[in-house]
Amino acid sequence: MRNKDIEKFNNVLEYICLDLKEPLNALPSKYKTKIEEIRLRIGCPLIISFEGKDYFLDLQGNPTTNYDKCIKVNKENIIKTFKLISNYSIYAFEEEIRNGFITLKGGHRVGITGKVIYRGNIIDTIRNISSLNIRIAREKIGVSTNILEFIISPYNRSIYNTLIISPPQCGKTTLLRDIIRNLSDGYCLLNKGFKIGVIDERSELAGMYNGIPQHDIGLRTDVLDGCNKKDGTIMLLRAMSPDIIAMDEIGSTSDVEAIHEILKAGVKVLATVHGKDIQDLVSRRSLNVLIEDKIFERYIFLDNSKGVGTIKEILEGENFTSILM
Amino acid sequence: MIIMKFLGGLLVLISTSLIGFFYGNQYSNRLNNLVYMEQCIKMLETEIVYGAVPLPEAMLNVYKKGNKKVSFLFKEIRDHIIENKVEEVYYSFYDLRHILKNDLNFKQQDIEIILSLGRVLGTSNREDQGKNFQLILNQIIILEKEAKLERDKNEKMFKSLGVLVGLAIVIILI
Repeated sequence: MRNKDIEKFNNVLEYICLDLKEPLNALPSKYKTKIEEIRLRIGCPLIISFEGKDYFLDLQGNPTTNYDKCIKVNKENIIKTFKLISNYSIYAFEEEIRNGFITLKGGHRVGITGKVIYRGNIIDTIRNISSLNIRIAREKIGVSTNILEFIISPYNRSIYNTLIISPPQCGKTTLLRDIIRNLSDGYCLLNKGFKIGVIDERSELAGMYNGIPQHDIGLRTDVLDGCNKKDGTIMLLRAMSPDIIAMDEIGSTSDVEAIHEILKAGVKVLATVHGKDIQDLVSRRSLNVLIEDKIFERYIFLDNSKGVGTIKEILEGENFTSILM
Repeated sequence: MIIMKFLGGLLVLISTSLIGFFYGNQYSNRLNNLVYMEQCIKMLETEIVYGAVPLPEAMLNVYKKGNKKVSFLFKEIRDHIIENKVEEVYYSFYDLRHILKNDLNFKQQDIEIILSLGRVLGTSNREDQGKNFQLILNQIIILEKEAKLERDKNEKMFKSLGVLVGLAIVIILI
C-alpha cells in the first residue's frame, strides 16, 4: 500500500516542471505517501498539504513553515507544468479547461484558475493561468465494506437510496467509489453484483483517462465521463438498464430532477453532497425537496474527527433516526 | 596505355556526371519532400482539428501513416518532446533544422515555415489550430510551385552539365 502511494506521488511528479520536481522528489517517503494536494500559485510558495494542514517546501525538499526559506513558484513554472499537464495539446483539453480542471493518468485532478475568456454566454477558455491545484487521487479499497450492511436491503435483494454527506476533503468520493466497486463486483450478503451506471460529471469517481477508468470501480460498472447528471440519467436509463445510478456532488435543481427521473424508472440512487448535517441540507432549497419527499432511505454523514473518512452518523430516511450501532 | 586513358576518361566522365546528378537531384528531392511534408501536415491537421488527439500521439500516428522519407521527423519530434520535457514544442522542431537542410534538401524558406508550425502547434484551441494549419499549408503549396519551377529549370541543366563538363575534361586531357 505504502509503495503504491509513493508510486502515485511519483506519477504525479511526471507532470511537474523540472525545477519544482526535484525538491518534491527529495521529500522523505513518509510525506510522499500522505500528500493530498500540491498547489502552485504565481509568486507564492509551493505548497503541499496533508492531514488537513499545509506546508511550504524548502530547497532540500523538507516541509517548512518558514516563508523566507521556501521555494517560490514563478510564471515559468506554471507555464511549463501546464504544458506537461495538457501534454502540449491545449486543443485536446478544451472542454476540460472550460470546466476548470484536467484529469491526469491515474485519476489525479488538476484544478486551473486564470483569466476566463467568454464567448457569448459560454466560457471559451482560461488564459494567463495563475494557479494550479494538483489533487492526488488516493483510492482506498475496502473502506466501504463495513458500512455496506447499512445500505443493503436483504428482503428485496436490493439497496436503499443512499446519500453521503460531508464537508469537502472528508472522503465522500472515495467512499462512494468503494461502495460502487463492492456492489458492482458482488456483495457476499446478497450474492449478486449490481449493474451500476456512474455519471462522473467531474471525472473524479472513475478518473477516466483515454476511456480507461483509473480507479477500480467494479466489474459491472458503466461510466459516462464528463456528462451532466440530467443528460447522463436519461442516457443511462435508455441504453444501459442499470440497477443503480451513482453520481457525485449533487446540488442543483436539475440534479434533483435527474434523481426523480431515476426513481420513476425504479432504479436505485447513490449520491454524495457537500454538507455538515441534515439541517444544512434542509436549508438548501433544491435539496430540501429530496428530504421532504423522503427520497433517500439512508443518510451517511462523514467528517474527519478521527481521520479522513470517519463515519459520524448513519440515519434512516423515514424518521431520521440513527441506525449506527 | 590507350586502355589506361580510356579508363581514366571514363572515371572522369562518371564522376562529373554523378556530381551533376547529385546537384540536379537536390531540386527534385526538395519538391518531393515538400509534397510529402504537405501530406504529413494534412494528416496532423486531421488528427488535431477533427480528432483532438494529444500532440505526441498525433505525431506518432502521422509517422505511421505518412511517407517515411519525411514522416520520421514527426517521430523524432515526439521522442524529443517526451524525453526532454521541453518547454516549447518549437525547440524540438528547431533541433531538427540540420536534418531538414542536409538530408531533405529543404531551403531556408521551407525550414522557416516548418519551424513556424512548431511555434503554434498545441498552443490554442482547435479552431485556431485549424486556421494556423491552413495558413502553413497555403505557404507550402506556394513553395511547392516555386520548387517545381526551379526543378524544371535546373535539374536537367545540372545533369547535362555534369556529363558535358566530364566530356570536355576528357577531350582536353586526351
